[in-house]
Amino acid sequence: MIKWVMILLLICCMAMATGLDSEFLRLHNRGGSSASVVVALMGDSRRLFAHEFFAMADAYFHSGFYPTIFDRQKAGTESDLKEESHDKPEGVQEHEEEASFLGKPKDWIERFGRHFYPTVHTHLHGGTEREMLPWLKLSADLDPHELDAYLTASYWLRTSLNKPDEAEQFLREGLRANPDSYEILLELGRVYLYNRTNTFVARNIFMLARQKWRKQDAAKAKPDPHAYEEILGEIVRVDRAQGNLNQQLADMEELVTVARAKETLQHQIYELKAKLAAPKK
Amino acid sequence: MSSSISWVTSRNPDAGNVFAIAGVVIKEMYRRKDFYVLLALVVVITLMLASVGIFNDDRIVRYLKDGCLLLIWLSSLVIAITTAARQIPAERESRTIFPLLAKPVGRGEFVVGKFLGCWVACGFALVAFYFFFGMVSASREHTLPLLAYFQAMWLHWMCLAIVIALVLLGSVIFTAPSSNATICFIIVLGIMFASGHLNSVAVQMHGFRGGLVYAIYYAIPHLEWYDVRELIIHNWGLIDWLAWAGATIYAGLYSGLLLGCAWLVFQRRTVTL
Repeated sequence: MIKWVMILLLICCMAMATGLDSEFLRLHNRGGSSASVVVALMGDSRRLFAHEFFAMADAYFHSGFYPTIFDRQKAGTESDLKEESHDKPEGVQEHEEEASFLGKPKDWIERFGRHFYPTVHTHLHGGTEREMLPWLKLSADLDPHELDAYLTASYWLRTSLNKPDEAEQFLREGLRANPDSYEILLELGRVYLYNRTNTFVARNIFMLARQKWRKQDAAKAKPDPHAYEEILGEIVRVDRAQGNLNQQLADMEELVTVARAKETLQHQIYELKAKLAAPKK
Repeated sequence: MSSSISWVTSRNPDAGNVFAIAGVVIKEMYRRKDFYVLLALVVVITLMLASVGIFNDDRIVRYLKDGCLLLIWLSSLVIAITTAARQIPAERESRTIFPLLAKPVGRGEFVVGKFLGCWVACGFALVAFYFFFGMVSASREHTLPLLAYFQAMWLHWMCLAIVIALVLLGSVIFTAPSSNATICFIIVLGIMFASGHLNSVAVQMHGFRGGLVYAIYYAIPHLEWYDVRELIIHNWGLIDWLAWAGATIYAGLYSGLLLGCAWLVFQRRTVTL
């Protein structure tokens, strides 16, 4: 009797294997990467974890000085990590006015407890920014559409860590997952412009970024106008580096229509026009 | 079959008895496999984390320290809670508690001996864990801040003293060690996660409820003080020695209070099978 049961079980296993094999193959081949397995296993919850890991990178950027869910945070404030990688120059920055999320201690227990966790607002600097990278990588792995993870990691890799190759590789991974992202193209162009000083390739990438931005604008997708200004600004810088004055003038005239510092830019345009009008020696 | 002892001692406590009971607990600890398995798990998981290549940079270390310390904390809590939770029920089940208490060993000596054994055994485990952590950290950072690590390990050990005393109190209240361990685990994790913020919650509540939450905030042991992982991971340097000493005294007082409660409850309990 037991023999027949064993044979029956074997047949059942074989039948199940034929059914499951195709499912597993489909699971592995979807997207052609290990990320597809994560998608299949975690679903949309991976986005939640991706945000958490990005927040973890931000906490590391502040060396552990970071608000918990119990601490007050100003509504609508962007993380320092994003701001730093998008706009501001590198270096140590103390934001005493921002350090107030702790407030004054309410009692002796809280006052005494502050000896045992970080209470000073500092930023990583001098190459220690590398410590954030594992969390940014994990964030991007979990949610390949988390653009900030690619942009922030790339910014630090190409600036203070001086690793443009790694930055480019990571950005290209991001570009494969987000082929219409003008933000990633802008960052990739910067790798070529500032780290490789390859203005020809950089210009082509910036032009592609501009094209993507315009396409999204035409489709009423509300792309970030500040990013458009940055793209045009980088194109003007490339023109300047290439010494192509006519092209620079044309690009500056486009830039002035969206720029916030219109007066300064207009002044530069007048200077450039005067330079072009002057007779060549 | 059921037997009972309703013997109450009025003699002075004997340190020899306490150390003898503690010695048995320590021997039991190194004969069991729990610690070795957890140490091996910590080592394997940490080495796996270390083997992950991140942007070809082998100087990235903080995520590794973070992971390793988290595993050490979890492992130490598991060791402390499970070891302490089974002490008194195991003596009762194997009936060794009857000759022990009839020897005569006072109930206070019995409780203190069990506490001391568990605490010292956890201390040995912590030394092994932190030694490994120091090696991992030094291999990447090329520095070994011994004093900072000593402070962290000491505070960790002090935290475990409170936890063990709490579990021993639980083991004379709850009948099953599993339920005691589970309840204590939830209480300890809850305190570590939220106790430091209860005052913020209390000020947002008004009247009696706010007062009640504030009373709980003052009454519960502040285990979160002893978790200085953030300072160690991000190399914040040494903790103020006065604060360190204050936390040590607080842990001593709280452990004493919980052990006293455990002794009082145990004193009034009729030990039966």
